[in-house]
Amino acid sequence: MSAAVALPQHRLLESPNSRTIEIGTWTITASTNPISNAGQCDALQAAIGGIPLPEMTFGSNSLELEHKGSGWKYSFKTEDALKGVKNGELEDGDGGVKVGYADAWLKSRTSPLSQIPMPKTVPTKPYDWTYTTLYPGHLEPTGCKAIDWKPAERNDPNHTIPLVELTRHDPILFYAEIPLYEDELHDNGASHLLVRIRVMPTCVFILQRFTLRVDNVLFRTYDTRIYHSFASSPPLVVRETSGWEAPYGRVKSRLPKRDDLTPLTDPMWIAKILTEMPSEISQEIGAGTKWRGLGTKIDIATLQ
Amino acid sequence: MPSDLDQQIEQLLRCEPISEEQVKRLCLKAREILIEEANVQVVDSPVTFWDMMELFKVGGPCPETNYLFMGDFVDRGFYSVETFLLLLALKVRYPERMTLIRGNHESRQITQVYGFYDECQRKYGSSNVWRWCCEVFDYLALGAIVDGRVFCVHGGLSPSLQSIDQIRTIDRKQEVPHDGAMCDLLWSDPDDINGWGLSPRGAGYLFGADITKMFAHRNGIDLIARAHQLAMEGYKLMFDKTIVTVWSAPNYCYRCGNVASILELDDYLGQEYKVFSHAPSAWSPADRKRTPSFPQDVRSIPAKRPPADYFL
Repeated sequence: MSAAVALPQHRLLESPNSRTIEIGTWTITASTNPISNAGQCDALQAAIGGIPLPEMTFGSNSLELEHKGSGWKYSFKTEDALKGVKNGELEDGDGGVKVGYADAWLKSRTSPLSQIPMPKTVPTKPYDWTYTTLYPGHLEPTGCKAIDWKPAERNDPNHTIPLVELTRHDPILFYAEIPLYEDELHDNGASHLLVRIRVMPTCVFILQRFTLRVDNVLFRTYDTRIYHSFASSPPLVVRETSGWEAPYGRVKSRLPKRDDLTPLTDPMWIAKILTEMPSEISQEIGAGTKWRGLGTKIDIATLQ
Repeated sequence: MPSDLDQQIEQLLRCEPISEEQVKRLCLKAREILIEEANVQVVDSPVTFWDMMELFKVGGPCPETNYLFMGDFVDRGFYSVETFLLLLALKVRYPERMTLIRGNHESRQITQVYGFYDECQRKYGSSNVWRWCCEVFDYLALGAIVDGRVFCVHGGLSPSLQSIDQIRTIDRKQEVPHDGAMCDLLWSDPDDINGWGLSPRGAGYLFGADITKMFAHRNGIDLIARAHQLAMEGYKLMFDKTIVTVWSAPNYCYRCGNVASILELDDYLGQEYKVFSHAPSAWSPADRKRTPSFPQDVRSIPAKRPPADYFL
């Protein structure tokens, strides 16, 4: 730990299901609760247009940031994240996939030689069963004038996320991990959306990470990073959104031990492998799904 | 065998794994018993070891109470090995009192992805135990029927099966296939549709209320009990109470904060759902290490608090 860093004044408030830090002109609250119960699930499902909810939906979890100086309020919430999941037939850009053995499954039931022909089936609700979302958090409507995100200036050093500062092991004043949803895709892989925050003496840093594994098909990561330096004047918020994708086999071939598959269930390891690949591969070609989330984009918001 | 076995049960009850040689003999013995069982024998979920102890506390000890476990004994816990071997030891010790039916996780393919294979490797230094357990999986029954009135299965119904008798003719002694009735029994789900639906994932069936009621009527049963899907309240009744999902893994994956339940059937098949929370000691080994005096009652804590991390 660096003794050189002065600890700014801050206040921590804690209840069993939420924690808040007040620091400077910021109030930040992380709420973590059990998964939603049947009643909450029904209400949430109705609110997002009727698609089946992820098996583990943490409907009451959220991360809320409020900048008192400007009235800017920004949140990460389960309901809004799920509204970003495609509801309806998947189209170009949605990056839709089927499970690895879908063709074999269907063929075994539709071929003329099949002993177990398909029954007449009714259409089920089409939606993206992988729960892929490009949700980068959202602005809460407030009485103040809206502050819009603007594309970052390529040459402005303030319009980036400073890795050097974030790598430094300054004391962490406030830390939270807030799962929004998880689904195991009926044992065909996993889909996770997790928000993490750390408040440091000099800055706020948030990483919301969506991770998708479809067994024998692909891996996908979509990150939203939010960075604010307390030293910025006027207060500036940098938001970086990035998507990566690669075929399953390509990631699997990078396993440190061939017969230990556990890293394939670790979102950190998956992201590491995807980001280490040349970006023409993992951010342009991806897994060939033409998913619109590939690539990186930086936006900024000036809070005044 | 019984006295050895009782000793092994004692050991497993303390969550201590038994030796590789003992596992081998236990698996062989289990197969001898299971091979004689019918496809349809007379409760789910990947239970963690300590939660299973809680389950026995709530439901009463074996053999005083008859138990039926609806599959998914392994994966996604830290003590899958102990959990499955204890169930198996109890099965061998009290074959009539203990019924185990197969879940979709009792498969070579799934256990290699979701943890059981790695756990066996870690605890025994080889894949022998995993292999012997998988051989036992192949002999597990596909369903069970209680007093001719409650049909139990891991997943659900299949369009190629109209009657329970047809299940009896399946050749079950194999790895879970990707097609056919056996696959459907372990993988399908009830859904708010009419008739049969195709899962949007591209494989797997969904079945509606009409299908469920027709199956119940045709086979003279009151209830289909199944597992396979998480229910926050521990159980979920659907379709005018003709089907129930029973979930017996509390605080699933150590973070969901859900409760679990056992379906208790009395002598007249009256249903009572016994709901229970996760065991105070059902913390992950990492949690225990981190927390020298880990709380006696963590039930009010929805999720463990992760250590601060310099993520980037």
